Amino acid sequence: MPAIRKSVPFWQREQFIPVLLLLPAIVTLLFVVLLPLLFSLYTSFTGYRLIRPDTLYNWVGFRNYERIFTDADFWVAFGRTVLFLAIALNLEFLFGLGIALLINRVTWGQRTLRTIMMFPMMFSPILVGYQFKFVFNDNIGVLNNALHALGISDGAIPWLVDRYLAMFSILFAEIWMSTSVFAILLLAGLFAMPRDPLEAAKVDGCNPWQVFRHITLPFLMPFAFIAMTIRSLDVARAYDIVDVMTGGGPAGRTELLWTMIARVGYDNARMGQANAMAYVSILLSILFTYYFYTKLIAARRYMGGAD
Amino acid sequence: MRHATNGVAAAMALLMASGAVAQEIDYGNFDGYVLRVKLIGGAQYEPLYAEIPKWTEMTGATVDVLSRKNHFELDREIKQDIAAGTLDWCVGSNHTSFAPQYGGIYADLNDVMSDEVLSGFQELALQNSTVDGRLVQLPRHSDISNLYYQKSLYEDQANKDAFMSEYGYALAPPETWDQFRDQAKFFADAPNFYGTQYVGKDEAITGRFYELLVAEGGALFDADWNPTFNSEAGVRAVEWFKDLYDARAVPAGVLNYLWDDTGLGFASGTVALNLDWAGWASFFNTPEQSKVAGDIGLVRAPMGSSGKRTGWSGSHSFSITETCDNMDAAASFVAFLTSHERQMVEARKGLLPTRGSVWDAAQKEFADAGNDFLVLVFSTYAQSMAEDAFTPPLIPEWIEVSNEIWPRLQAAILGEMTAQEALDEAADAAREIMEDAGYL
Repeated sequence: MPAIRKSVPFWQREQFIPVLLLLPAIVTLLFVVLLPLLFSLYTSFTGYRLIRPDTLYNWVGFRNYERIFTDADFWVAFGRTVLFLAIALNLEFLFGLGIALLINRVTWGQRTLRTIMMFPMMFSPILVGYQFKFVFNDNIGVLNNALHALGISDGAIPWLVDRYLAMFSILFAEIWMSTSVFAILLLAGLFAMPRDPLEAAKVDGCNPWQVFRHITLPFLMPFAFIAMTIRSLDVARAYDIVDVMTGGGPAGRTELLWTMIARVGYDNARMGQANAMAYVSILLSILFTYYFYTKLIAARRYMGGAD
Repeated sequence: MRHATNGVAAAMALLMASGAVAQEIDYGNFDGYVLRVKLIGGAQYEPLYAEIPKWTEMTGATVDVLSRKNHFELDREIKQDIAAGTLDWCVGSNHTSFAPQYGGIYADLNDVMSDEVLSGFQELALQNSTVDGRLVQLPRHSDISNLYYQKSLYEDQANKDAFMSEYGYALAPPETWDQFRDQAKFFADAPNFYGTQYVGKDEAITGRFYELLVAEGGALFDADWNPTFNSEAGVRAVEWFKDLYDARAVPAGVLNYLWDDTGLGFASGTVALNLDWAGWASFFNTPEQSKVAGDIGLVRAPMGSSGKRTGWSGSHSFSITETCDNMDAAASFVAFLTSHERQMVEARKGLLPTRGSVWDAAQKEFADAGNDFLVLVFSTYAQSMAEDAFTPPLIPEWIEVSNEIWPRLQAAILGEMTAQEALDEAADAAREIMEDAGYL
């Protein structure tokens, strides 16, 4: 018997079989994810210019990163992206929660409502951008004309130019498009919710607010954190809507990380520097993901769920 | 449709008038070959592409249009092709402002096109299409801006009297940029009516600033490529934009405007004066599309304080890649698209030809058809192309320098910094770019 065992090649041995079966996935991930990541990391240390392929070998060390760390515009855009993320996620959560609770109460036509609720998600972000660019246009826009016709404003409100209104307009478009992500996930949470604790609370004399605050909301929080993780990755790389509506302007007032990175990488063709910026900005996504993940685990622990 | 029928009728007339010019050239035979091309898209550019089936019929080749995008998107795509080494197409749309960036990817057309073809083009247009001594593109049509205005506003006696008493000189279409500013303020009645409007972002506003800077006697760079636009002339140029913005003589959202917005704005009848290219001329004067049709005046772009007129100019063009697998077919296609007949097709839409013969033929055709407006358009633009036209610096760094200038122009217009501060900051950033590129 030992002689036969020796003749089995190592890749046919039992302990290697899982590795063997996973090999296609590992190889695919290696080529599709890891290699491009390593390549872009390498280019962030070069003076790589998109239109001069030979500059790929022009090693500049940390020069790109040094420039970023002393570039005030970059850090302003970075801070603005964090603020944008924080406001968008919180408002989307609140609106999504409201919509989910309302739809949960509906007894007739719920499926139709759920489908209608998902409409904004079906549009490409570029179309959403154009739609709201038209809505918020100062001269021919629907909103200004409506306000004017109703006698609410007597002048053209520069929605896409004013420092605060421009960010508001972009946030409005972003929230309009993606609130349903929260609503869908929270609704799934509400459907999965056991009835017993709710009924027990009612028997014990809790009012509706107490039921919501101490039973419904804690139960929904793991779903909310999953939605926040997904959306934080989405919003941190917000580009299409902003690019169409304001292009990051005017005077950089709505510049987010990715409108800046795209301009440096493509228009200015400085892909090395753009990749360095992208690597710094990835830290933001990692931090948010880590934060939401710890909150998710804490929320599940609070509910007595598995880690 | 009405235009097309007019055009065909006029072409027939021309055909009869001068058989020699209208004679179709032999474009060769490329049976079964598929020519891969990337073209600029947009309403103004499409009529030419409707002619492509004629070339495929004559030569037996087929044309595969890989992309048809606006120039900024096409630029990104071409840069990606350069980086990825996927220049597996032959003919691409190009522009004199963008061409220097692309290095050696495009063939020198002096070696590819026959002298016979090249000799028909205007000397200056070919000169501006040359980068480092290589003719990397063949100009398709040119752009330069002149000043459109609503005629009735200037004929109104009440306006004349009010203007005279307020500004102390007679109301007439502006000859200088100062008069332009006065009149824009005079006509403005926000939010219902605006004196003028300008393109407010991207290379568009950099270009406008640049031409005003030159007209004010300034320059972007000195002879050694040191940035010099943060001069007094530069400050005066920025203040022109800012004054109009502060006076609400332009729409509040103007800093988000590009060419379509200014064109459609003038056509909507809510703007008195509009500095724009000739590509809009037919659109402005078509009653179904424009509320100012039949009421449009046109004068040459005004003069700055140096006495020089603004004349930022460039040409849309076609280039052939060095990697093209059938140079003869590509050359034949480009020759076809820039031929006399094809330039006539574009000229009828108001686009400015790059062949001397087309200027003459088009003006004659419009005059014969009694189209006084297009005669005015062509004579005005012919004069500004001949006397006022200048290009931005034809260097690869132009777009990058522009990206440093325009956000600061916006900041100055919005009052976030003074004109001098904005220009000083932009000049420092431009200097860094020029240093990186080895000019300084």
